[in-house]
Amino acid sequence: MFTPGSKLFLGLTGFVIAVSVIYVALVDNSIGGAVALLSVATGTALLAGLSLFNRDGEVAVGDVAAPAGAEPLTSSMWPLIATVGFVGVVAGLLTHPIVFFLGLIALLASGTEWLIQSWSEGASSDKTYNASIRGRMLHPIEFPVLALVGLGVVILSFSRVMLAVSRDAGAIIFIVAGAAVLFVGSIFALKPSLKKTLVVGICVASAVGVAASGIAAASNGLRADLVEAKEEHHFSHKECGEEENEHFDHLAEGTISLRSNAVATIELRDGKLTARELGVAKVTQTITFPRSNSATIIFRNKDEKEARLTAFLGTKPVQDGVVEEVLDCTQMIGKNHEQALTFKIAKPSMASDKPYTLTVPGLEGQSIEIMVP
Amino acid sequence: MSTKIRRIVAGVSGLAATAFLAGCAKDAPQDTWQPKGTNAKTIDDLQQPVFAIAGVIGVIVTCAVVYCIIKFRDRGQAMPEQTHGKPALEIGMTILPALILAGVGVFTFRTVFDLSKTSDTQMVVNVTGQQWWWEYDYPAQPELGITQPIITSGQMIIPVGTKVLLRETSRDVIHSYWIPALNGKRDAVPGRVHTLRLDADEPGIYAGQCTEFCGLSHANMRMETVALSKEDFAAWVANQLTNAKSPAEKTLAKEGEGVFLNQCVRCHQVNGLKKADGTPAIAAPDENVWAGAAPNLTHLMSRNTFAGAAFDLLSQKCRADVWGASSETVGKKYLAGVTEECLNQTDLRRWLRNAPAMKPMYADPAKLTSTNGKYRGMPNLGLTEDDIDKLVAYLSTLK
Amino acid sequence: MAIIERPVTTQGVEIAPPATPSRAQGGFKRPVSTTGWKSWLFTVDHKKLGIMYGVMAMFFFILGGLEAVLIRLQLAAPNGKVLSASVYNQMFTMHATTMVFLFVMPMAAAFANYFIPLQIGARDVAFPRMNAFGFWCILGAGIFINLSWFFGGAADGGWFMYAPNSGPIFSPSHGVDFWALGLQIAGIASLTGAINLIVTVLNMRAPGMSLMKMPVFTWLQLVVQFLLLFAVPVITVALFLLSFQRNFGATFFDVSAGADPLLWQHLFWIFGHPEVYILVLPSFGIISEVLPVFSKKPLFGYPFVVFSGAAIGFVGWGVWAHHMFASGLGPVSVAVFSISTMAIAIPTGVKIVNWTLTLWGGKLRFTAAMHFAIGLIVLFTIGGLSGVTHSVAPSDTQQTDTYYIVAHFHYVLFGGAVFGLFSGFYYWWPKVFGKTLNEKLGKANFWFMVIGMNMTFGPMHILGLQGQPRRMYQWTEARAGEGFFNLAFWNQIASIGSLILTLGIFLFIVNVIKTARSKERAPLDPWDARTLEWMTSSPPKEHNFDVIPTVHHLDEFFHRKYEQDPVTHEYKQIATAEEIMADQEAHADKHIHMPSPSYWPIVLAATLPVIMIGVIYSIPVAIVGGIFLVLAMFGWALEPSTAPETDFDPPASEESTKELSPLV
Repeated sequence: MFTPGSKLFLGLTGFVIAVSVIYVALVDNSIGGAVALLSVATGTALLAGLSLFNRDGEVAVGDVAAPAGAEPLTSSMWPLIATVGFVGVVAGLLTHPIVFFLGLIALLASGTEWLIQSWSEGASSDKTYNASIRGRMLHPIEFPVLALVGLGVVILSFSRVMLAVSRDAGAIIFIVAGAAVLFVGSIFALKPSLKKTLVVGICVASAVGVAASGIAAASNGLRADLVEAKEEHHFSHKECGEEENEHFDHLAEGTISLRSNAVATIELRDGKLTARELGVAKVTQTITFPRSNSATIIFRNKDEKEARLTAFLGTKPVQDGVVEEVLDCTQMIGKNHEQALTFKIAKPSMASDKPYTLTVPGLEGQSIEIMVP
Repeated sequence: MSTKIRRIVAGVSGLAATAFLAGCAKDAPQDTWQPKGTNAKTIDDLQQPVFAIAGVIGVIVTCAVVYCIIKFRDRGQAMPEQTHGKPALEIGMTILPALILAGVGVFTFRTVFDLSKTSDTQMVVNVTGQQWWWEYDYPAQPELGITQPIITSGQMIIPVGTKVLLRETSRDVIHSYWIPALNGKRDAVPGRVHTLRLDADEPGIYAGQCTEFCGLSHANMRMETVALSKEDFAAWVANQLTNAKSPAEKTLAKEGEGVFLNQCVRCHQVNGLKKADGTPAIAAPDENVWAGAAPNLTHLMSRNTFAGAAFDLLSQKCRADVWGASSETVGKKYLAGVTEECLNQTDLRRWLRNAPAMKPMYADPAKLTSTNGKYRGMPNLGLTEDDIDKLVAYLSTLK
Repeated sequence: MAIIERPVTTQGVEIAPPATPSRAQGGFKRPVSTTGWKSWLFTVDHKKLGIMYGVMAMFFFILGGLEAVLIRLQLAAPNGKVLSASVYNQMFTMHATTMVFLFVMPMAAAFANYFIPLQIGARDVAFPRMNAFGFWCILGAGIFINLSWFFGGAADGGWFMYAPNSGPIFSPSHGVDFWALGLQIAGIASLTGAINLIVTVLNMRAPGMSLMKMPVFTWLQLVVQFLLLFAVPVITVALFLLSFQRNFGATFFDVSAGADPLLWQHLFWIFGHPEVYILVLPSFGIISEVLPVFSKKPLFGYPFVVFSGAAIGFVGWGVWAHHMFASGLGPVSVAVFSISTMAIAIPTGVKIVNWTLTLWGGKLRFTAAMHFAIGLIVLFTIGGLSGVTHSVAPSDTQQTDTYYIVAHFHYVLFGGAVFGLFSGFYYWWPKVFGKTLNEKLGKANFWFMVIGMNMTFGPMHILGLQGQPRRMYQWTEARAGEGFFNLAFWNQIASIGSLILTLGIFLFIVNVIKTARSKERAPLDPWDARTLEWMTSSPPKEHNFDVIPTVHHLDEFFHRKYEQDPVTHEYKQIATAEEIMADQEAHADKHIHMPSPSYWPIVLAATLPVIMIGVIYSIPVAIVGGIFLVLAMFGWALEPSTAPETDFDPPASEESTKELSPLV
């Protein structure tokens, strides 16, 4: 049942798995080494499977093996690709890892293809049969890989296009493209008599079109607001000192989770700071903030001047006898802009000598007291 | 339908309804069909007709099936006609329920929006769920006499006839606040603030239970809403605004204060409690409890349940007296708090001796790797009987 | 008499000299035995797989039932001490998980697998090996999930597994990991099964069987498969998020990282609500077959039943948030979902009307199957009506998460889904095993179950409306109320009812054993049935039909047996089932190609639990499992659908093999 070749590879697989178990148990239980060893095991296991499957390339007794050189073999592109791959690997080592990996992939692919093709060509003297066993061996690898590559290119290209065009244009492109796919697909489905070449032609042409526009879009770069978003270090604008970024969420309250989360909205209007608590109609100068629970307030600027909201959240000891004020704040925001501020106060108000407050720097005499029960 | 069938249907539905109602418990504290507040009444007014309609339809279908069983059993009759249906009848039977449901839908729509109204709120309470108890904090509302925020747990006190808005959230997992006599339930979701309106027509103690599965001791996470008359409520507020007084020197309670400062104050705040050096003792539950809070015990004996309202602070007799009181007297009895003779010593001592044995909690220090050693619930403090005596004496002073 | 041929060449052209190897590949012989344990382990026959699905589901039904009994014993008295809080939480989580994913779904799959090909006149499903793979996956999933009992405790977050309570902090044992990863495997089974059956139904119907001539059972199963196809990916995504949160430190449901816990609820219920129809529609299909047969009338309003089934399949996607009326979605969402939930009651009501009108004017024979079918109509109606009461959102805020809901969905799922499945057992047992289940025991089985079920779940309506919440490991007398009929009384009744129910199910098992021991063969057509599956031997041959029938009518088999007199309009029998069978055998198809058994489905399915174990405990194990997974996939892909001649033992004679090309 097991051929000598497969026994060799199976033994190797078992050996490598055993080695990796020992390695993990005794030497180093981090993932890296185990992955490397088990990758080797995967390779040998695959080879074991292959030789099991083709019975070491032996042709069964009674069958006539192809006499060497009896028929001219078809030309093959694999030696060429393998050479390119090899050059890529060498060049990649000297230049750039991407070149190296591309070369490696080419080398592996051509190696596999070459191996199985040459085996299949010697399998018998029946060329149709040889071609069919080559297909049976390689199609399970070729089809998924090619499909992955093909779809990958289309998806990647389309995503580049969507990232490059403006939001509105993106929506339109999405609708048009979707409709077109649906329309063409329906035609294909309703007219099975369409020529295969026509169908293939349309598909290939559209794929090429998408890929081309993807390349064009990628070279064009991201659209403006995404570039801004990239520059805006989310969660890093916590410093209450110099402003780090120019870009931020202009309308924080626009997101649903914030709207259902904010315990209070602080508004600056005509130089006056007022607060409005969730579920309470009237405005106030003190808000109650839950203890030991992250909660959000929203700061809304209705003044002409840019302003920020600063929260004083008590003190913390830095070293013996020295305490530091805990501050948190929004960015400077302009008129009609809002920003959310989320923080947590673990100690009740009575634990702090000074009350917890919300203030706008530069605006004297205006503050909102935060009461923590 | 013939009159005969109609009579049978009416008779059977009546019988079923009577049997159902007669089969119910008397005075179940969490009965959803005994509304005691405007919101719950609104819900009840909507659901009663729906139940009635559903009941009648159920009886009609059952009667039709039973009729078929009796009338059409195989008595050797000829092969029935192989009919595939009557489209007119089918369409009729589709439209009829659609019409009924459309009617129900209109009223449902209106009620949903009525119940979500918050603009005429008269009082606000923040309700925070935590494994496995409820914390209530009352923001400062000078017009109600609440000059400073009040914090309490387990039992929420509201003035009668006042539209109270609950702002619910949670510190850990999802809980759900439900006082069936006053309103339907609303989940307390961490990271979100949900609103729910309650009001009570009459003074009384209204029982409830956390209804969103919240882990190990979900079954023990109970709560009560106590409605007091406006005067009683003012008295309650006035008491809550005071700080705890230190017991007189050389008493057992004073020694208990020492034990409290040693052990309990790590998590439990008592407002006004001072350390030996005279500085205020500030609890640090955020360093010991995963969710970051533990019940404030300043006025422990003003509530009559403890540990997430799972156990009674009142002895059985006193409890029956307070809970069974009429709406006129319940306020005074409740405000009396837990007196020495009424204290449920057994349960309180058992709790102090080994809390997790009474109410399952995650408090075994060896098994707290997922929370970096922080507790979810109260651990077994390993107190001596002597310490427990002192502590009970001290806790009884926290009126 | 037809024979199953060993594959012969389809290539007529001879190449001289052919020199085509007869055995150039395959290290192993294909399993080809038709008897013995190997014939079950490696089978791709939809009927054998159907039986195995059924046996597995029955096992988990008993397991889930025992869990339920433990739950009821714990709740029989106040402050129950049978189970600890932790074990109780695991128990109700696993009871629901087992009943939903490991009993009702596989049992519905058992019926679908066995009867869809027979009802549409096909020889097997479209992808037989995938079919076998699906079965081994669900079996692996069931074992895997229950392994957690032995590895530090099962999942304890409820079957709805709401975040953040299911996160690593709040559920530190590995139970939820086993649960989430096990359900992923079950999801693979459901998806492959759904694709397989959809393709089968759409492409492999007998000539003449248009969609509107298809039996209702097949129709509703088709709707279920589409529901699965779209619902399972949603739960797959949710479970991936959960697993990544628990095993790889992701923060999808971590509030402190800005997550919104309601995300899980939406994902879960977008899957979870269609899931309810996935559970109940197969049973609707079963009784839509049973009621006409025992009423001697076609199903009343066949197109209405079919279209209302499809309508449920569509509207079922727009009602998920009615599970979240108390979650704080805001009044607009609540109102909209409230109305859409009421809308789905309409197609469901249509079905009940049609079943009742099928009985109306019929010639009713009260067999055990018919008992269960009629039981379903009444019990499901009760469950459906209590469903309407909480489609009214404000009313639901009082009822949700109380025992009222437990009562509701047990009337729907036990009274609906389970009664339908039992009706199917009694109806189709003679077809599958060639022996009829004992009718007397069957009726006793029915009465015990119907009384037990009403005693168990009926009082829960009262318990819930009087304020007893679900998922509590204990209840206290303090909240049980006064009077004789207090909540303690009803809790006791429910617990006693659960024991009666257990007795009813025990009677079924007794019946099965008794029937298996009896020597009495069932007649070919014991019920005077109407559909194609009865037009072959019992149990059917491996290739189902000697001749693929050509269909002219809905209820084809009935119309082959009976003919209407053009003058008197009365139906007269023109043929018996035996005569029709004999006629088929006489004209049997000459060449019937059946797929060969295969090792790969079970091998491939076995790798999945290994990978999942690795994800929980040690990544290298997952990698090893992954290696075998890839190898098994290639082994599968390289394998031809029929075994080469040399795999048969002894090999067939020379002349039949030399032209064989195993690669076609």
